[in-house]
Amino acid sequence: MRKNFRILIIPYLFLIPYLFTFIAFRFGPSIAGFFVSLTSWNIVGTPKFIGFSNYIELFNDPSFITSLINTLYFMVLTVPALIVLGLLIALLVDQNLKGRTITRTFVFMPYVIMSTVVGVIWMWIFDTHFGILNYYLSFFGIKPIAWLSSVNWAMPAVAITTIWWTVGFNMILFLAGLQDIPEELKEAARIDGASNWQIFWNVTFPLLRSTTVVVLMLTLINSFEVFDQVYVMTGGGPSMATLTVIQYMYFQAFQYFRLGYGSAVAYVVFAFLIVLVLIERQLLKKVGES
Amino acid sequence: MRLKLGILALLSILVIGMVAMAAQPIELTFWGGWTGPDGDVMRALVDEYNSTHPDVHITFTTMQWTPLFTKFMTSAAVGNPPDILGMHGPDIPQFAALNLLTPLGNVISKAGFTATQFATAAWNGTFYNGVQYAFPLDLHMNAIYYNKTLFEKAGITPPTGWISGQQFLDMAIKLTIDKNGKHPNEPGFDPNNIVQYGFGLYSLNWHAFLQWYELLAQQGYGFLNQQNTKVDYPLDAGLKAWQWLQDLVFKYHVSPVGATNPLNDFLIGKTAMLEDGPWEIPACQAQKGLEWGTFPIPQVFEQKTVWGSGHVLTIPVQKDKAKIQAAEDFVIWLIKNSSKWALSGNIPALNAAREYAYSLPGRTGFLESAPYEVMLPRIPNEAEVFSAASVSPIVVAGQDIMVRDKDILPVMKWMNDQINQILSRGQ
Repeated sequence: MRKNFRILIIPYLFLIPYLFTFIAFRFGPSIAGFFVSLTSWNIVGTPKFIGFSNYIELFNDPSFITSLINTLYFMVLTVPALIVLGLLIALLVDQNLKGRTITRTFVFMPYVIMSTVVGVIWMWIFDTHFGILNYYLSFFGIKPIAWLSSVNWAMPAVAITTIWWTVGFNMILFLAGLQDIPEELKEAARIDGASNWQIFWNVTFPLLRSTTVVVLMLTLINSFEVFDQVYVMTGGGPSMATLTVIQYMYFQAFQYFRLGYGSAVAYVVFAFLIVLVLIERQLLKKVGES
Repeated sequence: MRLKLGILALLSILVIGMVAMAAQPIELTFWGGWTGPDGDVMRALVDEYNSTHPDVHITFTTMQWTPLFTKFMTSAAVGNPPDILGMHGPDIPQFAALNLLTPLGNVISKAGFTATQFATAAWNGTFYNGVQYAFPLDLHMNAIYYNKTLFEKAGITPPTGWISGQQFLDMAIKLTIDKNGKHPNEPGFDPNNIVQYGFGLYSLNWHAFLQWYELLAQQGYGFLNQQNTKVDYPLDAGLKAWQWLQDLVFKYHVSPVGATNPLNDFLIGKTAMLEDGPWEIPACQAQKGLEWGTFPIPQVFEQKTVWGSGHVLTIPVQKDKAKIQAAEDFVIWLIKNSSKWALSGNIPALNAAREYAYSLPGRTGFLESAPYEVMLPRIPNEAEVFSAASVSPIVVAGQDIMVRDKDILPVMKWMNDQINQILSRGQ
């Protein structure tokens, strides 16, 4: 009885340090955040309860709607590209080719650079009048593109930066998944006369399913929470063309000191992410069943 | 006997402890948003004070103004604010309205300071609702930086004082060159292949609005009504001010469309002039091979005015009287010794300290402008109304007009509506 009790309690003792920090710094503030979202509060002083007014104001706030649409646009630009490119590069560097180690290093290297540094580097590259990208494009007769100051180009420019910066991370995850696939399975398919494409589509890709789920989920969440590179490169402009929801939340809560309103944005983002993950899981379930 | 010895030992420890504690300097924290070379100048001043005042030790912390104010609000909320806080004059109302700042009128007059000893704009910038909340440290305003080499090449003698809008435009046209060596007023000029621009100005951030604001003031108008409750200026005057700026970019092609880094363009000689504040002086001094100077912004309309602001030093509300006294002593010392602060590029507010700035290179434009400085209106929700964030109506309006070449009037009306909505919500 005593032994059973010890066996039962000991794992929880190990969990206590994590649970403590989780409750104190994640779960607790998350719950508190919801109550704050029902108030008008500027950090100093007593919060004033205003019910769901912040949420009502939020859905009538054109800037918030713009930020939501921009975030979805950013996701459309980056998520498929990050997954397809990550997989393709992983497949490439998984081959027994010369220089694959150095290629892996080069592709992954940007990921270890700080987001602010990445932003500054690409601001120089994208400079309309004196940037290196427009200089090279001019050789093809292309007129200078206002990458960061044009409403049409600013978000694609931020997306290009993000893809360059983070594709290495997806590549590493896919590479780990690829190296888990037993070589014998591919070998057997090859003996059965399968082409390289058939091996990839019928052997490699299905076995990468769990990796793909993880990569997709992480990429979706990271893209939805985009902040740093936008903050550094465009600040959300021009004319709010790159304003994202997290940035909007930051402005409201920490620049305008509208803590209640900012918390309401956070909760809408939270709800949105949950819905997104649920849809994604259902879709993958269907793909798995088929 | 043992008991007596024990008591004696305990008493000795207590006495030694008390003496040691008494000998400890008072620890003060000083926060400011001087993150560039100006931060080094302030740090040197703090170090000087620490070394000459062994009874006090000040720890100086810098971070950008916006996160600094967030940090201040959160630390004030839990009763642990810094002992001294730097800010801009127009920042005072938002914190004073929340009772976070100590009124300092008595301290300032006891220290022997009077209005006549300071630049008027700087002194006035320390008040909110008739109460003085801060010591005026400096003034900083827009002026025109110019590249001496490019001026020489173009055969232009740089101005030393205020010039008219037309004179300025003529210079900017002469200094703008396309890849065939033509200027914007010459036939065959190619606006898509400009290799050198005459004038760099900010169009993507809130400085676009500040440039407009000073042109509105040049016509004799403010932005808000007297009670600071509503936008109130003649649309016609606002239109003329925006039109001047928009034309520099899209009609005369003397300024690049949507420049992402106007300062850098100036430093590397791609633009011949730049409108900016004195905080860029250290960057200009550090740029090898750049020969530069400054003159006031052009007087486009009837009056000489320029947007400006000023740093002030405040003492946040707290209970420790010894710390308050030590903080006051430090701030008084700093103001009296603020001539060295001119090395940061800022123009000291104290008249006596400002004299030193005259001997420093590149200050002409700013010193000439100081008497004509206008600050933004002083309102408690300044952080939202005059926000530099991308969602801010003043930023969006500037981008729409100066980057997207939008029709000015509807944009201006939209901006006014948005600002009125924010003002009506209060702090």
